[in-house]
Amino acid sequence: MTTLSDLEAQATRRAPAFGEHAHILCDNLVRIYKTEGVEVVALQGLDLLIEKGELIAIVGASGSGKSTLLNVLSGLDVPTAGLARVAGMDLLSMTAKDRLRYRRSVVGFIWQQTARNLLPYLTARENVMLPMKLAGKKAGRDRADELLDLLGVADCAPRRPGQMSGGEQQRVAIAVALANSPEVILADEPTGELDSDTSEEVFGALRRANRELGVTAVIVTHDPLVSEQVDRTVGIRDGRTSSETLRRTSEDGDVIAEEYAVLDRVGRLQLPRDFTNALAMERRVRLELERDHIGVWPAGAGEENGD
Amino acid sequence: MNVWQLVKVHRAAALVLALLALSASLLLAALPRGFETAYDEAVHGMLRDVSAQQTDLDVTARPLSAEALIGNPADFETRYAEFAKHLPRDLREAVVPLGQGTSHFSAKTTGTPVDTRLDGSKGASHEYVDFAWVPAAADRVTWVEGTPPGPSSTLARVPGHPELRNLKVIEIGLVTEARDKMKIDAGAVLLLGNSYPVVARVTGIYEVDDPADRFWEHNYEVTRAIIRPIPGDTESEWLTTGLVSDEGLASLDERRELSYSWVYGLDRDAVSAADSGAMIAQVDDYSRILTDLAGGPYSSMFTTLRYELVTGLDLVLTDFLSVLRTAETLLYLLLGGLAVVSIGVLALAVQLLTERMRTALSLVRARGASLGQVVRTGAAVIALAVLPATLLGYGLSYLVPGPATLVGHLVPVVLTLTTVLFAVGRLALAHRRPLKDTRADVVSARSSPRRVALEVLVVLLGLGGAYLLRSRGVASDAQELGADPFLMLAPAGLALAAGILTLRLYPLPLRLFTRIAGRRPGAVPFLGLTLAARSRGGAALPVLILLPALAVSVFGALVSGAIGDTQSRAAWQDVGASARVERSAEIPEDVVARVEALPGVNSVVRAGKGNVQVGIGGLRATVLSIDLKDYRELVAGSPLTVPDPPRGLGIPALMSKTLTPYKELEIGWHTRMKVRNMGRLDELPGLSFPGENLIVMPFDGPKRAGLRTYTNILLIDGDVDRATLERTVGLNDAEIETYATSLVDVRDTPLTGAITLAFTIATVAMGVYALIAVIVALVIGAADRTKALSFLRTLGLSQQQARTLTVLEVAPLIVLTAVAGLALGLVLPLVLGPGLDLSAFAGLAVTDFPLTFTTPALLAAGLTAVSILGAFAHATAGRRVTTALRVGESS
Repeated sequence: MTTLSDLEAQATRRAPAFGEHAHILCDNLVRIYKTEGVEVVALQGLDLLIEKGELIAIVGASGSGKSTLLNVLSGLDVPTAGLARVAGMDLLSMTAKDRLRYRRSVVGFIWQQTARNLLPYLTARENVMLPMKLAGKKAGRDRADELLDLLGVADCAPRRPGQMSGGEQQRVAIAVALANSPEVILADEPTGELDSDTSEEVFGALRRANRELGVTAVIVTHDPLVSEQVDRTVGIRDGRTSSETLRRTSEDGDVIAEEYAVLDRVGRLQLPRDFTNALAMERRVRLELERDHIGVWPAGAGEENGD
Repeated sequence: MNVWQLVKVHRAAALVLALLALSASLLLAALPRGFETAYDEAVHGMLRDVSAQQTDLDVTARPLSAEALIGNPADFETRYAEFAKHLPRDLREAVVPLGQGTSHFSAKTTGTPVDTRLDGSKGASHEYVDFAWVPAAADRVTWVEGTPPGPSSTLARVPGHPELRNLKVIEIGLVTEARDKMKIDAGAVLLLGNSYPVVARVTGIYEVDDPADRFWEHNYEVTRAIIRPIPGDTESEWLTTGLVSDEGLASLDERRELSYSWVYGLDRDAVSAADSGAMIAQVDDYSRILTDLAGGPYSSMFTTLRYELVTGLDLVLTDFLSVLRTAETLLYLLLGGLAVVSIGVLALAVQLLTERMRTALSLVRARGASLGQVVRTGAAVIALAVLPATLLGYGLSYLVPGPATLVGHLVPVVLTLTTVLFAVGRLALAHRRPLKDTRADVVSARSSPRRVALEVLVVLLGLGGAYLLRSRGVASDAQELGADPFLMLAPAGLALAAGILTLRLYPLPLRLFTRIAGRRPGAVPFLGLTLAARSRGGAALPVLILLPALAVSVFGALVSGAIGDTQSRAAWQDVGASARVERSAEIPEDVVARVEALPGVNSVVRAGKGNVQVGIGGLRATVLSIDLKDYRELVAGSPLTVPDPPRGLGIPALMSKTLTPYKELEIGWHTRMKVRNMGRLDELPGLSFPGENLIVMPFDGPKRAGLRTYTNILLIDGDVDRATLERTVGLNDAEIETYATSLVDVRDTPLTGAITLAFTIATVAMGVYALIAVIVALVIGAADRTKALSFLRTLGLSQQQARTLTVLEVAPLIVLTAVAGLALGLVLPLVLGPGLDLSAFAGLAVTDFPLTFTTPALLAAGLTAVSILGAFAHATAGRRVTTALRVGESS
């Protein structure tokens, strides 16, 4: 039986804010590039929640806003509006000093182009030690070797990028991103330039880092090899999250993937274009609340049903 | 990050930067040294051209009472040392010690008339023989007759002068010319002085060893017998001065017009241009010190000696300073232009290197480097490339002879600082924010109102400065040292304003061309012009380099042209024809015939010249008899103008301004003749001097007066050199001038040479810099261009078309900048006109800058061609765009 005091407590207790406990939180994130006479809206109200230690993939067509999102999350770009928080740090209100600290100790970043991740004239070990030196830490040669070992490229330590294969370069790049023990690593199509075997190795390295170091990993990718192996895949369309695919392993060992549409906080939903095309849904649909689901009917068809 | 490693990786760009820094440092540090040497040579030359009397410091005093007399040579020496002690520092260092050069002391009398010759010899009715005690002369003369003078004695009675008793006899020696012309032989005894008479006995006759010794310029009177016309009298008077012995000094007393002199000879080569300002002030100071030495201005002028400084040094140096200021102005203008251009090229090279480092620095920044770390690293790389190079350039500048200058010392510091600061600014701007608010792949951003306002301000300041300079002129006080800073700033501001206007306006004509090109079939011109009209940001530096480079070169060409023209005019005015033979006596007919027959001589005009008394008023005039019509034909094509010949009855003549009141004048030239004033002519260059009275009559004027024609001047047209002419004429007393030698005289002065050389060096250097600027600008944009071209290659662009496209992309900017630079260079003389007095270099006042378009236009065309060739070379020799874009690659 609920007492009055229970009710009172229930009333005064604040409901948990949206994604309060999430490790990465984007709420209604907007990024507009202003150019002469034209505004390019790269992100238009994107919502995203990622828990600590999660390994997720972000997929989407070219120009959907994936890279902008990653740039925002890495602190390389500043959103125009909305809320973006990573490991408790508000990305919109950071000062230059905060931003530097954020980049030094909170996030690590991996670009698609293997050449862009590493300085060509430094050895793998020196490349890994560089972020530590930049952060003013004592350059940990041991830690560099340890990381390279963890990612399976220990033998590359004294080599320069030019003397390594693409896969090795990307794995060294992951080691560089992990050098300052970040909480989050962000990878922009890390396997984009690699063949499938090498991609497997690189993705394996990322997953190992995620599992063994407990780092939250966000991977933007086109590569089905990657997107089909993560627990969760977030799809982005027109600057918004549109779908999520969750994967779980069934009792008999098969991977079951279920695709969900994303329902945002105000109840908006993006219907997959295939679905709407198939039923020729345009402009208006009719919704009906049933006991355990909501039915969506094309406007015309619903009217017929009603007859 | 390891800076050295970055330098090593980007060694090509770093090397370009280092080489540019080296050349800039060397040029900017060495040129002022060269200038200083030229200035010094100029001051030495100027001091050499005037007499020792003008340059040396002569301390004089006149004893007015017996107490003030100095009868002892040792006392002279003591005072010499005493005065030397008070010489201000720079002067003391510049004078030669006693006994060397022109340093000496003397005591001399003036205006002592010869009353009678007691030995019975006959002389002219007006004779003067003075005494001079010049101990330093003893080593400079040779006694050819008799003995040197000895101590004085006394003559108890003077024959024929019963009233004179116990007269002092002073022994003197005379120069050979006095013996030959005044007929005073060794052994002659002269009664001198109308009041306080004294007797002079000539013991010997001497010859001056080296008449060219500058020592004699102070003691001219003891080397010559001088004849001087007496005003208002038909007779002349003779003057000479005899040397007396040391013992004779005591006999020179205040009853003669006696003066003492201590001469401090100037070592001309010890005077430097830099010290001349201080020296002028020190001459003034020294003059005051000497007054004080005598006990101040209020001491009794009778009992003590009052010292006075006689020198023209301050005036000569003041003249020099005014010449120097013009030279400095020109050269600093040049140096300023060169500095702007070289700093611009350095900035471009810095841009190249920072662009090359951009990827590495961006990565480092993304990996957690603070802005400070990024900027420090980048700036250190720049400094590592620039500093050793500038220091080396500065060191190498010491190979150029000349004194060290402040500007030279500042060069490496300023160059390194500017370059590094530019790099710091660029890096800070590039890496300050994580990502820019705009995306580079969309249309260029519109300029912020703040920037537009700033540019408008700069343009207004540039134009305002030029206007002020034009209306105000330059501070022309020669005493004021250093160049007028405003004069330096105004052209720089004007160049900046012109640069901004060019950058803002050049897309306008381009759009027109693009529209025309768009209608024509070929795609390449249209594409190239479109790219040119769109290129932004990176274009600013090449414009700011090319424009001043061309402006200064064009300005230099105009200045050289103006100087050259005026020098030529000065030489014509000096000679009056291609060549001139002049003699005071008549030139014999056979000589005229020989000259006329010389190969290369086209024609000869004869003229007669004399100096005559006009009327009876003591007015004198130069009279010329010449056929002006023939003379005009002779000098046709030269800058000389000749008036119409006078026409009329009797002897018509043209006369100068002062003679205009007279309708008719009687002159005594060969005979008494009457000339009728038919018009005005103030000067005939080469034949008369400006300011003197001039009468020009027809060549047959004397014939019309009943005599015959006279020829003592030959004016020659043709190509004949002076030596040949001298040989042909064969008369020792004929004065021969040719245009060529006269031109060499005005042209070959150290300052003129320095200015011409400096302009040449600067023009070449700026041309090279402009070429480098274009190439570096192209290299900076090479990556983007390669992307664009590889995309166009997929659409079917040929290799040749790609090359043309590259050239077309930069050519419009170069051509338009060249036009702007040419215009600015042509305007600069107008702006600086009142501030620049080039007469010192030209031998005449440079009245106007003739706007000769040929040289400047050639310069502009040359620079444009060189720059475009650079672009073409880059397009041809640069990385070839061999591959078309492949599927899957992003452009």
